[in-house]
Amino acid sequence: MRPSASPEGPEGSGAGALQLSGVTLDHRGGDGRPFRVLDISELAIAAGEHVGLRGPSGSGKTSLLHLIAGLIAPGSGSVSWDGRIVSNLPVAARDRWRRETIGFVFQDFHLIPELDVEENITLPATFAAWRIGAAGRARAAALASRMGLADLRRRASVLSRGEQQRVAIARALFNRPVLILADEPTASLDTAHAQEVAALLTEVAAEAGATLICASHDIALLARMGRVIEIGSAVGTAPTERAA
Amino acid sequence: MNPFPMVLADLRALRWTALAIVALVALAVAIGVAIGAQERALRRSSAAAADDFDLLIGAPGGQTQLLMSTIYLQPDALPLTDGRLLNALSKDERVAQVAPIAFGDISRGYAIVGTTAAFAGRWGRLQPSEGRLFAAEGEAVLGADVAYKLGDMIAPSHGVSGHAPRPGEVDDEEAVHRHEGHGYTAVGRLPRLGSPWDRAILVPIESVWEVHGLGNGHAPEEAGNPFWGKGSGTGETRAPAESRIGLPFEGQRVPGVPAIVVKPRSVAGAYALRAQYRQGGTMAFFPAEVLVTLYRALGDVRNVLVVASTLNAVLILAAVVLLLVAVAGLRRRRYAVLRALGAPRAYVILVIWLGMALLIGAGCLLGLGLGALATKAVSGLVEAQTGLRLTFALEGQEMLQVLLLFAIGSAISLLPALLSYRAPAVAGLRD
Repeated sequence: MRPSASPEGPEGSGAGALQLSGVTLDHRGGDGRPFRVLDISELAIAAGEHVGLRGPSGSGKTSLLHLIAGLIAPGSGSVSWDGRIVSNLPVAARDRWRRETIGFVFQDFHLIPELDVEENITLPATFAAWRIGAAGRARAAALASRMGLADLRRRASVLSRGEQQRVAIARALFNRPVLILADEPTASLDTAHAQEVAALLTEVAAEAGATLICASHDIALLARMGRVIEIGSAVGTAPTERAA
Repeated sequence: MNPFPMVLADLRALRWTALAIVALVALAVAIGVAIGAQERALRRSSAAAADDFDLLIGAPGGQTQLLMSTIYLQPDALPLTDGRLLNALSKDERVAQVAPIAFGDISRGYAIVGTTAAFAGRWGRLQPSEGRLFAAEGEAVLGADVAYKLGDMIAPSHGVSGHAPRPGEVDDEEAVHRHEGHGYTAVGRLPRLGSPWDRAILVPIESVWEVHGLGNGHAPEEAGNPFWGKGSGTGETRAPAESRIGLPFEGQRVPGVPAIVVKPRSVAGAYALRAQYRQGGTMAFFPAEVLVTLYRALGDVRNVLVVASTLNAVLILAAVVLLLVAVAGLRRRRYAVLRALGAPRAYVILVIWLGMALLIGAGCLLGLGLGALATKAVSGLVEAQTGLRLTFALEGQEMLQVLLLFAIGSAISLLPALLSYRAPAVAGLRD
C-alpha cells in the first residue's frame, strides 16, 4: 500500500501502460467441457486512457477485468504493466501489485454494510497498515467531499444506491491507483444516478491521471470513454476496436 | 495489516449467530468447569470436616454409616458400643484424647450431639465465638448456624428413624416426640467450621444419657444433678447445678455410645489401636480410609461426567465449526471483494480466523463465569442440605481445560479460514 500522505483530492502518477499479448482464457461449461472465453492476440492501453469494454452478457468483459487485475491467470500469453509481466507473479506479489496499482469498482458496489462511509473508503489501507492515521482520514474526507458525501459516520447500509456507488468509487481511489477497473458501475443505478456516477468516475479518473477501463452496457457511460473495445459473444473471439 | 475493522464488521453482521456460538461454547465450558470444580470442592470440604476425627470406634456395622452419622451428622439408627471402652481408652497411653459421640435427639431440626466439653472445643483448638463451652449438665453450646440465642432454653425431642428434620423448623414429628421435662440452656456458640457440626447443638453426653433414662455414667453421689427432673413430665426446668461431667465415667454405669472419637498420640499408636479395636465386638477405622473409598466412587462418577462433558464439548465444537464453515461460505463474496480490492490472502484468513477465535474465546470466558456460578449454586444447595460448606475456587486444572478447549477451537477455526484461502477469488465475485 502507498500511504495516503496528503488530504488533497484524487490524483495519480499517470504512469503505466497495459499490454496483453497472446492471452487466452478458458472456462468450463456446465457439462464440464472447457470453452474459450477470451482470445486476445494483442491489446495495448496507454497510460491515462479511458477505455470501455462492450459486449453481450457472457462475452468475457468481467473475465477480462479479472485477468487484468491478476485475480485469474491466463491460459496462455501474458499481461504486462509498464513492461513488466504481472500475470506470472507469485500470488502475494500479484496481491501487492493489485493493491498498489488498481482500484476496483463493482456493479453491486460491495460495500461492507456494517462499516460507515469513512471505514469503507479507508478499508484498502487496512490491508497493509495497522492505523489509518490523520492523513489517511483527511484523504478519505477529501474523497468523500469530492463524491458529494457529507456524513462520513453513516453506515453503508443506510445509504442510497447512488451514494453507495459513490462510496465505492472513493474506496477505489483511496490508494491512489493508476489503473481503475470498473465492472458495470452504473448497471444497478437508475438513469439519473447512472449519469451522475458515470460523470464522477470519468472526472476523478481524469483528475487522477489514472487509466480507466469500464466494462459496461451503458451507452451513456461508454460515450464518455476515449475508446470502446467490443468483446465478442462467440467462443474464441478477439476484441475489435472502434473509436468512441 | 489490521483485520479488526473487518472482524468487527463480520461480528456485527453475524450478531445472532455470533451470540449462539458464544452461548454454545460457554455451555460446553461451564459444564466441564463445574464438574471438576464441584468434585474438588466436595472432596476438600468433606475431608476438612473429618479433620478432628482421627480414629472412629463403634459397634460392628457399616463404616460408611458410622462415618456419615458421626462426621456429617446424617441421622441413622446405629448400634451402641460398650461405654466402658471410654475409660479403657482414656487410660491407654497410645491415646492422646478420647470422646464419646451420641446423637439421635433434635431441637428445631438441629441435631443434639452429646459429647465432652473437651471435644466440643475440639481438644483446645476452638474457642467459642460467644459465651463459653458447657460446664455442667443441662448446658449447651451451639454450632455457628444454630438459630438459638445464648440464654435460650432448648427443648430436645427424640429423633425418629426415617424422619428428615429441616434445620430451624419444628415439625409435627418433632413436637410429638418431645422429651418433656428436659431442656438445655445455651451458654456458648462455636466459631464456624464449614461442616455439618455448624448446625449441631453440643451438650454433655451425660445429659443425653439421662434424657433417655440411662443414668449419667457417674456414681450416684456424683450425679446429684437437680437440673434433671424425675420424669414428672411437668416440663419444669431448673437451673443447672455444679456437677461433674466428662471422663472418667463410673465403670459399671457407663451406658453405650454410638461412636467414640480417638486422637492417637502417634501414627504407630493409631494403627495399633485400629488393629486392636477391629475385633472383640468393636469396629475401628480411620475416616480417611472410608473417605478415600467414597472419593474413588466420586472420582468414578466424575470420570463418567468428564467423559460425557468432553463428548458434549466435542459435539458443540463440531456444531460450531460446521456453523462457521457455513457462515464463511455465505460470506465468500465479501472475502472475494476484499481480495479484488488488494487484500492479501493472509488478511482474509486473519479476518475469518480472528472472528471465530474471538467468539470461541468469549464463549470460554463466559463459560468460566457460568461454571463458577453453577458451582456456587450447587454448593449452596449442598450446604443447605447438609451444612457442608463447599469452598469453590477456579484452579489451574480448570484454566488448563479452558485453554485446551480454546486452543482446539481456535485450531479448528482455521478450517473455514483455509477453505476460503483455497477458494479462488473470482468464484466468490461471480456468486
